[in-house]
Amino acid sequence: MRTTTTATAITSGRPGGWRALLAVAALCLPSLAAAKLEVVTTTEGLASLAREVGGDRVDVASLSRGIQDPHFVDANPTLAVRLRRADLLVDVGLDLEIGWLPGLVNISRNAEIQPGGRRRLTAASAVPVLEVPTGPVDRSQGDIHPAGNPHFLSDPRRAAKVAEAMAAKLAELDPGGAATYRARLESLEKRIGEASTRWLAALAPFKGTKVVARHKTLSYFFDWSGLVAAGYLEPKPGVPPPPSHLADVVEMVRRDRIKAILVENYYDTKSADLVSRLTGAKEVVIPGDVGGTREASDYLGYVGELVRLVTEALR
Amino acid sequence: MGSLIAYGAAALLAAATAPAGSGDQAPDAAAERKKLEEQIAKELGQAPSAAGAPAQPAPAAPPTGQAVGGSPLARVLMLPDISAIGSGAAVWNTLDVPVESPRSGPVPMAPHKVTPVFEELELGIQAVVDPYARADAFVSFGPDGVDVEEAYLTTLSLPAGFQIRAGKLKSPFGRLNQQHPHVWDFADAPLALTRLVAPESLSGAGADVSWLAPVPWFAELHLAGQVTTPVAPVGMEAAGRRTAIGRLAQFFDLTESATLGVGLSGALVELPGDASERLGAADLFLKIRPLRSRAYLAVTAELFARGLSGAESGQQDLGWYAQAVWRQDAFWAYGLRYDRAPGVAGGAEQRGSAILAYLPSEFLRLRLQGGVDRLASGRVGYEGILALEFAVGAHGAHPF
Repeated sequence: MRTTTTATAITSGRPGGWRALLAVAALCLPSLAAAKLEVVTTTEGLASLAREVGGDRVDVASLSRGIQDPHFVDANPTLAVRLRRADLLVDVGLDLEIGWLPGLVNISRNAEIQPGGRRRLTAASAVPVLEVPTGPVDRSQGDIHPAGNPHFLSDPRRAAKVAEAMAAKLAELDPGGAATYRARLESLEKRIGEASTRWLAALAPFKGTKVVARHKTLSYFFDWSGLVAAGYLEPKPGVPPPPSHLADVVEMVRRDRIKAILVENYYDTKSADLVSRLTGAKEVVIPGDVGGTREASDYLGYVGELVRLVTEALR
Repeated sequence: MGSLIAYGAAALLAAATAPAGSGDQAPDAAAERKKLEEQIAKELGQAPSAAGAPAQPAPAAPPTGQAVGGSPLARVLMLPDISAIGSGAAVWNTLDVPVESPRSGPVPMAPHKVTPVFEELELGIQAVVDPYARADAFVSFGPDGVDVEEAYLTTLSLPAGFQIRAGKLKSPFGRLNQQHPHVWDFADAPLALTRLVAPESLSGAGADVSWLAPVPWFAELHLAGQVTTPVAPVGMEAAGRRTAIGRLAQFFDLTESATLGVGLSGALVELPGDASERLGAADLFLKIRPLRSRAYLAVTAELFARGLSGAESGQQDLGWYAQAVWRQDAFWAYGLRYDRAPGVAGGAEQRGSAILAYLPSEFLRLRLQGGVDRLASGRVGYEGILALEFAVGAHGAHPF
């Protein structure tokens, strides 16, 4: 519409105006192509969900990669350039990105992606959160997440809730696409539902089975799958395992006949190797997020990989 | 102050073109909406939509639960982020440092005497002020008393890539000058920064206007006007001087795991009479960190130049440092630094330093630093520093 108005204004001038019109039209082309909503997410898991929901109407970029430890992403100023142009910023929340995101948002000059802003969606606001501390909190407990456990995308039910919130937010920002977002959300929910039935059937024999994990990154996966965390390689969140603690873990693994030790592939596997060697339990290196391995190329691929690796190890 | 900023934002926005991000509305609706806004603004005798945010539908209220009698945590929720960073050291040097090689950082009471030094306790108070600005204040409690290290407002909603910081702030000059000492990899400042730029850091009351250029890499241009206390030229008293500062900082992603930062800074310091002092700095920063790893290599180099015009024109001084730090994992880091600066009695002083850092957690750092200092006279000094730092509370992220 805007182009037409410009055309009228220009063609009312001299014949040479046609050339100007072409130039203007050419200039408009990239801006028409750029009419897609620019969605920036902090993690690849969120990016995959945003792509599923947004389809062709969005361009999605993640600030971190699935092979990175999401707790230790660098506050690289070049990331602020992407935030400056963002039509929507989706973050995990619960202080997962506290060490790097707030400063980048502040220098991005994009007022609407500030916390609580119209173009900010904090995924945690859409899900029931586990491990919310109810008593006093301090760092003698390790590098804990004082607002609750932020690693909720390993639970497909919660991922569906996040996708729902994304669809609602995208529809609010781009009302013309509301029907598309709703349809794509329904399709995604259907696929997650069908896959979940399959996954849960595969996991059913292992309900209540104890496993060991490196960090409390899998609490939501356990909550969904029915597996149980018998213990962690880390004595406290973010604290590296000292020998005394690993000795406890080895004793526990032997006593409870635990068959699997789960470690995200961004962690050093030294302590897991050791416990595995001393006990015979299998060390299972899992993707930490979408993009963590080649197989985990999108959200369904990621959860599928988790289920496959865990069930193969426990079989 | 907040309303002042809002007013400033409104004035700037009035001069700016259509706000970014309108591509999500049909052009018709957007044009109509803009017309309506302009009409309303005219009726009210104001500039349209200060800062975008208030003109948009109000953001959804935060999720709320039901609690009888309301939230007992209301006061706590409204508190700004409060943090404290303490730093101290045990230091030893064979030189009479204040006389032979003055510097910032921990200094022993006498040559060859191991001296415990309390450096500072930095109290940080940081919060969003209103939808238009945030405030960051850092109060430093040191052996000489209390000093407001920085206290400034930062606008959040100016259009066209602009941002203003106003208050007392570290000047946008060079790289290390803008960082708080507890962020430095080494336990003290390079001699060149101390001798050529400012005894502590170039900072003071004023304002810094910066602009993030709309280019695919990070390019930020700063223009600041401040009263600073730079190194006093010979024969002049150290005093607050009106200073104009400019800086262009750029960062490029060379690969997925390598980032290059380059900066150019200049400052013009007004001296009594018709004299003036010119400061220049060029900085380079390279960080290489494999994505999957906590390990990284960071190389930093800065060159400082100082010249005087007017009475003592012709005097030119140069100094620089280059350092490389290898962070092996979450716990250990090693670094080397070479440092060259004008000596106290002319000539050039050179220093080499090595550092070993141990970080039991993200919030505790223990460092052992050794240095060999060669004064302009040829005399050689040795130093050793054992530095300890801790951080408690909600401290904001550190600069890249």
